[in-house]
Amino acid sequence: MPHPRMRVRGGELGKLKHAPPWVIVALLVLLPGAVRSAPAQALPYQRPVDTAPQADSIGGGYKTPPVQKPLPRDYWLQIVDVVALAAAMGISVWLVLRRRSRRWLTALSIGCLAYFGFYREGCICPIGSLQNVVVALTDPKYSIPMVVTATFVLPLAAALFFGRAFCGGVCALGAIQELVALKPVQVPRRLDWALGLLKYVYLGLAVLFAVKPALVRDFLICRFDPFVGFFRRTGAPHMLMLGGGFLVAGMFVGRPYCRYLCPYGVLLAWCTRLARRGVTITPDKELDCGLCAGACPYGAIEKMRAVRRNCMYCARCYASCPRDGELAHAKAGLAQVSGAAS
Amino acid sequence: MQYRHVQAIDGKGGLRGIAVDSHGQLCAAGDSEIKVFDAAGRLARRWPTSRPAHAIAVASDGAVYAGEAGQIEIFDGAGKLLDAWRDEKPLGRVTAIGFTKDSVLAGDATDRAIRRFDRNGRFLNNIGKDNPVNGLLIPNGVVDFGVDAQGVVYAANPGKHRVERYTPGGELLGHMGRFDMLDPAGFTGCCNPTNVAIRDGIYTTEKAGPRVKAYDFSGKLMAVIATNLFDANCKNMSIAVDARGRVYVVDTVKAAILVFEPVKA
Amino acid sequence: MSEDLTRRDLFGTVARGTVLAVLGGGAGFLVKKANGQIVWQVNASRCINSRLGDAGAEACSLCTTECVVALSAVRAVNEYSKCGRCNICPAYFNITSAVNELGQPSEKLCPRDAIVRKAIGKVDPEDPANNFYEYIIDEEKCDGCGKCVMKCKEPLGLGSITLRVRYDRCVNCNYCSILKACPQNALMQLPIEQALEPAQVNRAG
Repeated sequence: MPHPRMRVRGGELGKLKHAPPWVIVALLVLLPGAVRSAPAQALPYQRPVDTAPQADSIGGGYKTPPVQKPLPRDYWLQIVDVVALAAAMGISVWLVLRRRSRRWLTALSIGCLAYFGFYREGCICPIGSLQNVVVALTDPKYSIPMVVTATFVLPLAAALFFGRAFCGGVCALGAIQELVALKPVQVPRRLDWALGLLKYVYLGLAVLFAVKPALVRDFLICRFDPFVGFFRRTGAPHMLMLGGGFLVAGMFVGRPYCRYLCPYGVLLAWCTRLARRGVTITPDKELDCGLCAGACPYGAIEKMRAVRRNCMYCARCYASCPRDGELAHAKAGLAQVSGAAS
Repeated sequence: MQYRHVQAIDGKGGLRGIAVDSHGQLCAAGDSEIKVFDAAGRLARRWPTSRPAHAIAVASDGAVYAGEAGQIEIFDGAGKLLDAWRDEKPLGRVTAIGFTKDSVLAGDATDRAIRRFDRNGRFLNNIGKDNPVNGLLIPNGVVDFGVDAQGVVYAANPGKHRVERYTPGGELLGHMGRFDMLDPAGFTGCCNPTNVAIRDGIYTTEKAGPRVKAYDFSGKLMAVIATNLFDANCKNMSIAVDARGRVYVVDTVKAAILVFEPVKA
Repeated sequence: MSEDLTRRDLFGTVARGTVLAVLGGGAGFLVKKANGQIVWQVNASRCINSRLGDAGAEACSLCTTECVVALSAVRAVNEYSKCGRCNICPAYFNITSAVNELGQPSEKLCPRDAIVRKAIGKVDPEDPANNFYEYIIDEEKCDGCGKCVMKCKEPLGLGSITLRVRYDRCVNCNYCSILKACPQNALMQLPIEQALEPAQVNRAG
């Protein structure tokens, strides 16, 4: 309710008693009739937007609603992704080196394509993570999340001990190419080697553009990922066509991106060289049929021995071997049955 | 009626409210000082106020009333502080001051109403609060009004795109104006007119496509005084009209007072 | 023969150990540097839809067209405490459309009809001009085209609506493709706590 009196009490001079000190000073300055004076800036002006009607002015029980602040994906889910990556690689190792089952490996790769590819939309992937690691190592202001470091290191550690388990059963980009590899031809060795040099060029360019200063930095691997448009179900027309082109090529040449362009594959190949275990072709003096070399689309078997560098961990060699793998087990089973019958 | 732009007075600092006195001098409130410009537009006097001043008005006896946050300071023509009415409740943020024969009116933007005091500072009544939204609709944060010779208060109600007429006791007599983007007689955008001045007619300023218009008391548009001369980002342009019909409008961005003169037909 | 194998084994083990140590050390170094989540956010003082100037210009829709996410990760967000709650909101209505019998413009501005309005406070059912209105943007429908942002900007409106990146939709690319296209470089990287604070827009006079 309004106040009855709000004027400062007292007469003219009496007012000075109650006035703040600076008024007295100002009056003393002004009484001689000074023209100039320094303006006091005690309180800032209220900018118009601060006087938009608030809840108490609007009344009627209204309360200003909070503005939604949607948070990004939970951290523990990101941890789950890393754990899933590690687990998938573990399963890949076991399926290829122990069980030697191409069927189950295909199932694993389809599962990883569905999760890491279509559900997580291909991000974060170890291939791109190498850019983040490079930036983090060269830019002191860049902060790399722990899950990205883990995503970079885990496939390399696995390759160090067991070979390219990541490529065989886990990588979504590899899996989508594996699915379309219907009639892969054997690429001539020289051509294969020459095209393989493109990987090094791509790796060099990716690193070069990643170490640039923040304003001009470019993440080439992310930008030119041919399959991310499929994973996101949306994308620029030229990128979708490029991805389609890779898939069409992949029908006739096994995993073209993996073999000739993947920059992370360079690092995996280096680590695989040092691995103790991995896909091996056991020498057998009696049966050197060469079916495995014919089955391998990646040129990873030379002179009946596995060339670990190129091995994509697809287990086709085991699947085609009459002595090993499912074929052998099936035949052994048949022999048992016929033996039992006769 | 036609107007022509005759002068732009440099505000010499920030500018918020302006008022003309009976001698044709222009008083301007801005930053934390009052500036008085003579009839030719030269700075005659300036003195500080204790708080940033949003509004200014000159009474018939020559006293200068400055409206600030939480108080009204009353100076004489030379800048001597005569009185200060200090009360946060009815004087939350005074953005306009006017006079009737026996009372002083102050527009409080915090409460979205016009307060009426007697000449000694005793609160009498509110104007503009007796409605469903409990006040004037001022999203721009400024209450502005003018008083005509009969003591009728013309208050800008920008949220409703109109100028409302009240008795000094607070009773709503009527209103003029409506929302219209095309008709120059209408008020544009979300909240216009922002400011109003009364002399021989109703003078309004608008933001967002800033312009100044003059209406007669029946609500008919008499003139569009200016449209393109203000900075496009101006808001809450205070307006004053002197006895000769000259119109003074503040460009809040450039901190200048634009002067317009009616052209004799 | 067995000696050769032993030497090769030894070399292999040492090499593996070394590489593993390098990887582990590098990872440890990088993990120590990790400090909080960095996300993309729109800089409202640079975005031409919300910064002062160019009143009446065409709204920029690059946030809609350039984002790699299907319906963009950018939304128009109304900071309620800064909204004027006006009856004739230039972001809700197309104020240049014909005025209907209620004294309001007849058309709405949003091409996807994403803004909903609701009378608040003491509601007068007869006269719509007698009410305050809350303007709520439906984030399922909004695609960040920026038309409402441009109209809400000062001096026409109060600048309470700005374009914001929404983190339940943004995939947090290494280099935001909107930033690549934005002529004002209006996207910036911030720690998540800062990015969630209300937008800072420059004010009119």
